[in-house]
Amino acid sequence: MPILEVKDIHKSFDSEVILKGISFSMDAGESVSIIGSSGSGKTTLLRCLNFLETPDEGTITVQGEQIFDAHAPALKPEEIRERRLHFGLVFQQFNLFPQYTALENVCLAPKITSEKPDIKQIEETGRKLLDQMGLSDRMNNYPHQLSGGQQQRVAIARALALKPDILCFDEPTSALDPELTGEVLKVIRGLAEQKTTMIIVTHEMSFARDVSDKVIFMDGGVIVEQGAPDDVINNPKEERTRQFLAGYSGIRK
Amino acid sequence: MFVTVTLSLLEGFLGTIKLFALTLLLSLPLGLILSFGSMEKLGVIRYPIRFLIWVIRGTPLMLQLLVIYYGPGIFFGVNIWGGSPSGRFTAALVAFVINYSCYFSEIFRGGIQSIPVGQYEAGQVLGMTKKQIFFKVVLLQVIKRIVPPMSNEIITLVKDTSLARVIAVYEIIWNGQAFIKSSGIIWPLFYTGAFYLIFSGLLTLLFGYIEKKLSYFR
Repeated sequence: MPILEVKDIHKSFDSEVILKGISFSMDAGESVSIIGSSGSGKTTLLRCLNFLETPDEGTITVQGEQIFDAHAPALKPEEIRERRLHFGLVFQQFNLFPQYTALENVCLAPKITSEKPDIKQIEETGRKLLDQMGLSDRMNNYPHQLSGGQQQRVAIARALALKPDILCFDEPTSALDPELTGEVLKVIRGLAEQKTTMIIVTHEMSFARDVSDKVIFMDGGVIVEQGAPDDVINNPKEERTRQFLAGYSGIRK
Repeated sequence: MFVTVTLSLLEGFLGTIKLFALTLLLSLPLGLILSFGSMEKLGVIRYPIRFLIWVIRGTPLMLQLLVIYYGPGIFFGVNIWGGSPSGRFTAALVAFVINYSCYFSEIFRGGIQSIPVGQYEAGQVLGMTKKQIFFKVVLLQVIKRIVPPMSNEIITLVKDTSLARVIAVYEIIWNGQAFIKSSGIIWPLFYTGAFYLIFSGLLTLLFGYIEKKLSYFR
């Protein structure tokens, strides 16, 4: 049984059609990269999975449980809260809470959203996660005292603290200076090696090819091509994929 | 004479402080409610509140004091406030609370709307409720941003309390002015300035302290 099954997702904003029927599935432990030019609908797709947007059509099924159906009655806020926790989301702009330290950022949601929080256990997990992100000496720093790369790693730890089934990344390195992207990509690569189930929207082509089990190329709100990274990135079948990849001359074969 | 005047002014200043403190106490929460109303999606709620804010910010506070105090008697034939000093004080308090809630609500609205949408979305994807996002994530950031405009507005309130004089509410200027008639001296009126200065000086220090306390994050 696939861990995630997305069927025929459509989404429009006002009269602009962004997603025109997106279907894909993935297995537990896989990392899937979604590539494509700006405006192709990649980010909207991630936002639909995380219930930040409501699709007009389609269904989302996680581990056999249908968590969204556009034709079902609208979900109550508490249902949305419960169901979106299948997913975690790491934003392009990190969106850390500025008034909390790195550790507090990681621990806040687990502390306030569980009925009987075990504060010690939560903080222990938070420390472990930050340690895993290479931030053991930064736990008590506030976001403005951290570099972009460090902030994004805190954001990854914050998302992991809720143990999502599927962790989504929305262009995690696009807001970073080039010299800082490496440290974030390294952390994501580490997560892939530990078989964390991930969907990564990215413009880092060589990273997508090296790290993911599957690559999806989106254009104009549809999936043009999907498959093994070697096939999609090195030997694309579709003309549109070829055109898109031609813009990335730096990909090593 | 100086002691007599000082004591009399202190007594008047007590009235000033009372009006100031009660106005602040009531208009801060009311202003927060109005700010939510002015950001409401439903037009039936949003438009009347925006209209009220426009009227209140668009007319002089002194005029509002007169309308609230004399209005009920003139238009409905009942002086709901009564003629006693406490009745006049209540009328003044109502006028001040309405006026300042509207100004505060605009400061709150500005503060709330300046918080990036990403902060709300981060809270949402972490499974927080709307209430948790507001109180645990957004509120302190809003407070930090509104401290400078609030300190401005609150210091203005200290001095605006003197307007209550137009409906004969006893406050410090009233007491200072009384010496012109009773003793033929004007300096007590000028002397009132010292009280305002000291009080707003203390408030400035307080707000400076709060600003510093909140400077640990950006």
